[in-house]
Amino acid sequence: MTSSAEARQQILDSIRAGTESVAQSAAKLADAYAALPRAYNHHGQLNTEALLALMVERLREYGAEVVECSPGQLTATIAAQLSASGKHIFAAPAGLPAAWFIPGFDWKVDYNLTTQEIELAEGVVTSSSAGIADSGTIALHHSPAEGRRVLSLLPDWHLCVLYASQVVESLPEYFSRIPQPPRLATWISGPSATADIEMTRIKGVHGPRFLHVVLVRDERKPETVLERLPQANDL
Amino acid sequence: MTQPASDKVILDPRFAPPFPQGALNVLRNPQLRKNVAHAIDVIQSKRGKLVAEKTDWQELRSAASALRAHVLENLDAYLEEFEARCTAAGGEVHWAADAAQARQIILGLLRQEGAREVIKIKTMTSAEIQLNPFLEAHGVKTYETDLAEIILQLGEQEPSHIVVPALHVNRAQVREIFARRMGLENLSDDPQALTAAARTYLRQKFLTIPTAISGANFLVAETGSVAIVESEGNGRMCLTLPRAMITLAGIEKVLPRFGDLELMLQLLARSATGERMNPYTSLWTGVTPGDGPQRFHVVLLDNGRSAMLRRPVERQTLRCIRCAACMNACPVYRQTGGHAYGSVYPGPIGAILTPQLMHLQHAQTLPYASSLCGACYEVCPVKINIPQVLLELRAQVTNQERHQAARFLDPMYLGLRIANFLFARAGRFHLAQRFGRIGIRLFTRRDGWIHSLPSIGAKWTQTRDLRGFPRQTFHEWWAARDKEAK
Repeated sequence: MTSSAEARQQILDSIRAGTESVAQSAAKLADAYAALPRAYNHHGQLNTEALLALMVERLREYGAEVVECSPGQLTATIAAQLSASGKHIFAAPAGLPAAWFIPGFDWKVDYNLTTQEIELAEGVVTSSSAGIADSGTIALHHSPAEGRRVLSLLPDWHLCVLYASQVVESLPEYFSRIPQPPRLATWISGPSATADIEMTRIKGVHGPRFLHVVLVRDERKPETVLERLPQANDL
Repeated sequence: MTQPASDKVILDPRFAPPFPQGALNVLRNPQLRKNVAHAIDVIQSKRGKLVAEKTDWQELRSAASALRAHVLENLDAYLEEFEARCTAAGGEVHWAADAAQARQIILGLLRQEGAREVIKIKTMTSAEIQLNPFLEAHGVKTYETDLAEIILQLGEQEPSHIVVPALHVNRAQVREIFARRMGLENLSDDPQALTAAARTYLRQKFLTIPTAISGANFLVAETGSVAIVESEGNGRMCLTLPRAMITLAGIEKVLPRFGDLELMLQLLARSATGERMNPYTSLWTGVTPGDGPQRFHVVLLDNGRSAMLRRPVERQTLRCIRCAACMNACPVYRQTGGHAYGSVYPGPIGAILTPQLMHLQHAQTLPYASSLCGACYEVCPVKINIPQVLLELRAQVTNQERHQAARFLDPMYLGLRIANFLFARAGRFHLAQRFGRIGIRLFTRRDGWIHSLPSIGAKWTQTRDLRGFPRQTFHEWWAARDKEAK
């Protein structure tokens, strides 16, 4: 049995024996990469209203609940959503804006909560990093306001706040506008689901069965193209 | 109703029956054919709609194809970059030349963790190296967590598709398996109830088993990150709850930059399940303090892949992103299902991948398991020209046979040699035609059709009839017509 180091050499040698570009320099590799064809759509076509309408439509198609509100109504909207859920114990990331901790509920703030403590929460409230309208996707980069990955996974009910200024039309727009690759990311497109039994779509296998999105209509100038997406903590 | 026990399915290409024989099990089982056809129809109609709404689909395919080809041409550089970045981020990278070495590495890591149980995210690569039976034999209990994989594991069945591996099992069969193995006598066969049973069955496992094994959809060289696409959340559970995580990935899975995901993620879910995006895609980079497993290993598996780079035509096989669009589109797969291919990789991609992974020492019938209609090529999101590779592999198989001493005992070989001799000269050909027509008359029924032929002729007539020869050949008719005109 060869060691991992020997296998490494063996594999790399074997790859080099089979490919043309044996001693390619890093610069040449970068040039070859830059020259690759990318004729697909990089920019969206929709105006702000159509874009947000598409985001809402796609989320609803997945069975997610969407409510829209102005920035001034945000706290009241979150409160209304929490009350309507019929749940009482909510987990929250430590970096969640203070105003979102609606009084009257049992908040489990994630200062190193154990898995068992998170499991006891009936719901969770987080912010988010971006919305991608074309696929109805919400991107979590797990910043302090979005929380650890496990936090938005175990509770059965997830309320996620998304700002209109964070919504882009397509994946290429999203990837070109995030400032740097996140270390962790979860891209959520609707609630947990499976179609493994006779291709019948069933909501809620292991992740949250209920995804609620609060879309905050913040200032977004229709004609300007965002150079970079505002990050959760900027908002 | 369950599958009869006699249909023992073997997905190890070294021991599996040849494709035509393997296909008989399904062809003779109407329930199985119905299950497969239903699943394929659903996926195909969803995929068709979502691909049609994408106005730049062909541009996406071209870009992805070029990107994946570029990766393969420079695979050494991108793997080294991935290794460096992943290591810098707190991960540990291991290299496995073959399946045996990968199994040993993984077992070693599990022993290091003191693991007696392990939870798994669906990974075809682990099925390729037959990891589960190996771990079980060495005292580590494996728990599959994908719903389809649970059905197969508890039902002691084999996967028949790479994305929906239990598509050959219907709800009544799932109910029977779950009722028996989970002790739930009153379980209904409603998919909702069956899914809920799986959720309950796994919840405690997720919360208590501290070691997990995954595959990878993509490795990102630029950042050292790994990406996994899934639907159920079992992946997210395995990626966040355990203390230690082992990811097994084929060496071809790497992408140059983080931004390349914008391309692959647009293609993958649409091609695989007919969704604009799968419900959950997870990306992680090494180890993140306070979030997820604090010990992270990547095992990079070669197992015959690097050797495939040497032939430019076959190399394109490694562009594959395992979406399964080719098998969903394949008229042969639709009839035979996945088990006939005798490999964990069925369908058109399996027909070219499996023989190559076996260095053409096994699975030599797979390159023939195709009508070369080209539907697989048309739907492939990374534009693998599967028919071209199939033909290339057929040529290689034939070449191999040409050098075997036993070939003179093979009626097919002898027949073709004789045909070669007869067809070489017009005189011989006409003579052969005349005698052939007399001979074949013995087998022609009154309806003008031949229903059965002896010896190698039976290979044709087993599955289809052959029209009897006409009284006159075209040449004879033409000559007679000329004469009449004069």
